[in-house]
This record gives sequence, structure tokens and C-alpha cells, in this order.
Amino acid sequence: MRFFSQSFLYDDPWSIVSLAFFLRYPNPYAAHVVSCDVVDRQHTESGTLLTTRLILKRGALPRWAPKGIVSRAETWIVEESEVDPYGKVVKCRTKNLDHVKVMQIVETQLFEQTPNGTLQTTEAYVTSKFGWGLTRRIENHGLSRFKAHVQRSRQGVSLMLDLIRQARLQPMTLGSYTSHLHSDRTSLTSSVSASSLDVNENTCPEDHTSPPQSGRWYDRFWGGR
Amino acid sequence: MAHSLSPECTPLKHAYDSCFNSWFEGYLEPAIANSQKLSEGQRNEYAKRKAEEFEQNCGAVWGKYKECVQKALKDRGLDELLEQARQDNPLRTPPSSQPRRSP
Repeated sequence: MRFFSQSFLYDDPWSIVSLAFFLRYPNPYAAHVVSCDVVDRQHTESGTLLTTRLILKRGALPRWAPKGIVSRAETWIVEESEVDPYGKVVKCRTKNLDHVKVMQIVETQLFEQTPNGTLQTTEAYVTSKFGWGLTRRIENHGLSRFKAHVQRSRQGVSLMLDLIRQARLQPMTLGSYTSHLHSDRTSLTSSVSASSLDVNENTCPEDHTSPPQSGRWYDRFWGGR
Repeated sequence: MAHSLSPECTPLKHAYDSCFNSWFEGYLEPAIANSQKLSEGQRNEYAKRKAEEFEQNCGAVWGKYKECVQKALKDRGLDELLEQARQDNPLRTPPSSQPRRSP
């Protein structure tokens, strides 16, 4: 089993970062997300919101993987989250549902308000039960893929933060703004470059990088979020 | 708004997402402004009001979308896999029993 942990501080307040986190699909940094459904959502008595989402991600196998290691290069991910607007905390846990013997990644995300901004803490456990002398190699591969994914995932959230800031400067409501964008992937991509140009000064530098083009296929083995 | 796993559910999903997103933005904001001052009773009252508002605005479309997705899950044999995976999730424990961090 391999473990990964990383923290990141956003300048924006918790409510905006949390909104961006829930709106993050689709975005050009998550082109591997095929579908995303809310399968359950409940209001708790204490006022928090519990959500279960089922996400289908497209991936590809690394070159060294034995043939037939998985029957198809797609994986179902279940994401359970709890939003607590009073304590200003979002907890989120995701894991893959299939191919679990080959590799399971359990990821937890925590977003909490701090005096300096919103702190995101990411943790992940990468476990393979594959055997055949490949366990360690698969876990290392999963871990390095996950590290790259954390970076891309954060770029996706930062992009949504830009869109939310822009939407709030315009007379349109966010709902209509995002549905307009999401109705057409091309228009989303083009407004990305527009938003990168007049990006706020307090955003992180990686916002300025262009969205990744479809990379080498084996780079995208369960390519994260 | 990404697609639904079933093409026939996608229009319902988009309608539901739009409704939810507008509600969710409001759900996050006023609570932030008041959370320092709210008593437990006020908080419960606020939470109840927000839940009712959700039901009123988005309840109907949520019902239709959920029904469509549940059927799609069954058709694909994903419902049992999902149920199994959710059983050992710590987030399913009652939130009140979890330690709450102060902001």
C-alpha cells in the first residue's frame, strides 16, 4: 500500500471554493470524465448535505500491463461527500468500484476555512492485490498517476473559481451561466482561454497553463479525477 | 454539467443540476454570514427552511432524475456494486457523532 498526502491553500473563501469543487465537471482538465450522476442526496437534521455521486472515468493501461488485466479501460468511481456550511467544512471520499483487485485508490478531500483562505487537504491510499510480482509496480504507477492528477484536478477547480468570479460580475445567475457553458464543450474551452487572460492576480500560476491536450494514452491510466 | 451515465437521463440531469446549483450557492452563503451567531435552534430552523426550499424548487425534477438513474443502474447491474461500496463508508455515520472542527 502506498500513501499520499498534500495540502493546498486557496485565497478564496470556503463557500466559493466549495461551490467550484462541486461544479468541477466537466472542465478541460477532466476530459476523461465520461459521466457523473447524483445517485443520492440527503439533508441531515444538523443541516449538512450528504451527496453520493457515481462517476465514470475513461482511462488506459500502462504499456507494461499484461493483456487482459482489466476487461475495459473505464472505471466507476463512487464519491461521497458531506457539506457543513456552519462548520465550513467539506469532506469528500472517493474510491473506484471495479478493477479493485488490480488497484484501488481511496481518496479523501477536506476543504476547511482558515484565517488565510481555504485549506484543501488531499490524502490517498493506493492498494494493489494483483500479485504476480507486479503489485509494487502497479502501486508505484498508481501513485505517480495520482500525483499528476492532484495537480490537474486543482487546475480544474481553479478554472471553475475563475468562472464563478466572472459570473458574479455579470447580471446572469450562475445557474444559467454554467448551463450555457456546459451545453457546449467548445464554448467552455474557448471561454477558458478568455478567462485565463484576465485572470485575477491572486490566483495561482498554474491557472495560466493551457488545458492539456489528449496525452499519450498510457498516461491516462485511471487518470484521476 | 457532465452527461448522465444513461443518455435518456441527461436532459433530466441538466435540469436538476441547474436547479441544484442555484439553490446550493444560496445554501452556502447565508449560513456563512451567520454561522458565528447562530444558536443550535436557529441553525436547525435555518437548515429546515433550506431543505424545504430545495424540495419546493427542485423536488419534482430530482424525483424524476433519480428514478431515471436508479433504473439505469439496475439495467446495468451497478446497483448492487454501488450499495456494497457505500456500506463501509464513514460518511454514512450520523454527522452529529463526528467531531466538529471550529472554523
